[in-house]
Amino acid sequence: MFKHLFKMIWNKKKQNSLLMVEILLSFMVIFGVFSFAINSYNNYAKPMGINYDKVWAISYNHTLETTNADSVTLVYQTLLRNIKALPLVVDAGYASSNIPFSNNHMSTGFKIKGREISNVNNFFMDENYLKVMGAKMVSGRWYNKADMVSKANVVVINETLKEKVFGKGEALGKLLGSDDDKNKRKVIGIIADIKNDGDYQKAAPGLFNAHDTAAYKWMGKILVKVAPEADANFEGKLYKLMSNTFKNSNIEIEHLDNKLTAYNKFTLVPLIILSIVAAFLIINVALGIFGVLWYNINKRKGEIGLRRAIGAPGNAVSAQLVYEALILATLSLVLGAVFAVQFPLLNVFDLPASVYLLALLFAAIFIYTLVLICSLYPGKQAAAIYPAVALHEE
Amino acid sequence: MIQLENIEKVYRTDTIQTLALNSISLDVEKGEFLSIMGPSGCGKSTLLNIMGLLDAPSKGGIKIDGQSTTNLNDKQLAAFRNKKLGFIFQSYHLINDLQVLDNVELPLLYRNTTAKERRELATEALEKVGLSNRLKHFPTQLSGGQRQRVAIARAIVGRPEIILADEPTGNLDSAMGNEIMDILLQLNRTEGTTIVMVTHDEHMAKKTHRLVRLFDGSQVQ
Repeated sequence: MFKHLFKMIWNKKKQNSLLMVEILLSFMVIFGVFSFAINSYNNYAKPMGINYDKVWAISYNHTLETTNADSVTLVYQTLLRNIKALPLVVDAGYASSNIPFSNNHMSTGFKIKGREISNVNNFFMDENYLKVMGAKMVSGRWYNKADMVSKANVVVINETLKEKVFGKGEALGKLLGSDDDKNKRKVIGIIADIKNDGDYQKAAPGLFNAHDTAAYKWMGKILVKVAPEADANFEGKLYKLMSNTFKNSNIEIEHLDNKLTAYNKFTLVPLIILSIVAAFLIINVALGIFGVLWYNINKRKGEIGLRRAIGAPGNAVSAQLVYEALILATLSLVLGAVFAVQFPLLNVFDLPASVYLLALLFAAIFIYTLVLICSLYPGKQAAAIYPAVALHEE
Repeated sequence: MIQLENIEKVYRTDTIQTLALNSISLDVEKGEFLSIMGPSGCGKSTLLNIMGLLDAPSKGGIKIDGQSTTNLNDKQLAAFRNKKLGFIFQSYHLINDLQVLDNVELPLLYRNTTAKERRELATEALEKVGLSNRLKHFPTQLSGGQRQRVAIARAIVGRPEIILADEPTGNLDSAMGNEIMDILLQLNRTEGTTIVMVTHDEHMAKKTHRLVRLFDGSQVQ
């Protein structure tokens, strides 16, 4: 029977081509939506890598009048000591502007054994970062005050960068940079990945630089871990302390949990837009399939009557229309799958192959379900046609 | 072979009730070639549809080959039609998207047959109607007479005991009509197939064993 139906569809390929193209396009859009959604979910399921609860980010501008380096350092060190001394502060430390969920990015790159490693997130966080953010070391250690004043360039890299550069091999003690690079950086620790760009984005390769005290003036952020009781009153006190230190500076205190919520919403915007486009397409395809099958029933009443006359029971006629729709969908999906597998093969968008394969499977199931639902009712209507009436109308 | 007992068919709408067949009782013997004649709208096709189990009578009963068909469900009726009956229509009812051979195979698709068996039986049926050289043609590439011969091949491919023909020569010129009639007569003679044919053509009807005339839904001869 399938061979027979396939033959009929093949012989009517011109009439069916528009519907097939429509199903194909919908499949590709749904494949895109599912790829995006599955990738987002996979990222969401991974640990954040930090405990951002009750972590506040204070932004400041360097507005100190003195230009004496020692004095500047002293002011910054005193400020941090004063913040830490506040009763509801658990810990605090200086950070560059690319703190988690900030939408600020600083990139760097280096060469290693002739390989160019680019698009590496470049972080400047002080020795307190690990404790303030509750981040975890995988191996090695975080840099300390001694590292920050020593002439040796030491860095901590995250798991993603370690995997990218060293694979399964050892990274601790290795130098980042080519032989002629005078500023080669020594890896002293591997930190667990941190999803800096929110719940739905994977951790990018990251490099944490031990820096000297001169960096305080341009780092621009202080991360403060506060006690659960810390409230708006305490925030006011903190603000006052900051504004007393940096006269005429824009002081802003943000809560990382709020920043994460905002960042997540921002990340989901493309998915929402794509889903809306897909929803319109799906409605279009559903109406298309429904309409074509409905039209087919009316156009093929004679054929339906004939099949009933020569021995097809009502449910066989109904099944025939459903199978025809499913075969049409299969032809579109085979073509769609050929396009879809190019994404993992060509490594488009740098997503894991498993994401594309799962998306392909879900999109195919979705299209089949849609086609099945849209063809069931017309199929049922066809089964209800009385053969004598259908033959007479022809 | 076919026994009709007091068949009545009434078509009802909200306002009108039309009596299409009025108390028709008829016995068709095995191997008989019966023709039904009458003016347009007298109920000939309705009677043929009821004989072919394509329509249900409002009253009365039908027995085919000694078996009552009154209580058969849709699936059983379909199986009955498939095995016992072959249909030929005035407008051929061929599927234009299928080749001649595939059209003839159609009734066998609803039986447990292999593709090879279907192909063999369909080829054999087409040989019988003289169309073995048109297997791969599409119906639109054939003349009216050839199309009707394909329809006959489709009707006989399952080797049914009864063929019901609704004005099989109605769309054909007299030469083509005679050709079709000759095929039907030969089937009746050589295979012993019982044939009931609705026709407007007195000349064709005279070639059959018996003629039944209908007028306003009643049997007058």
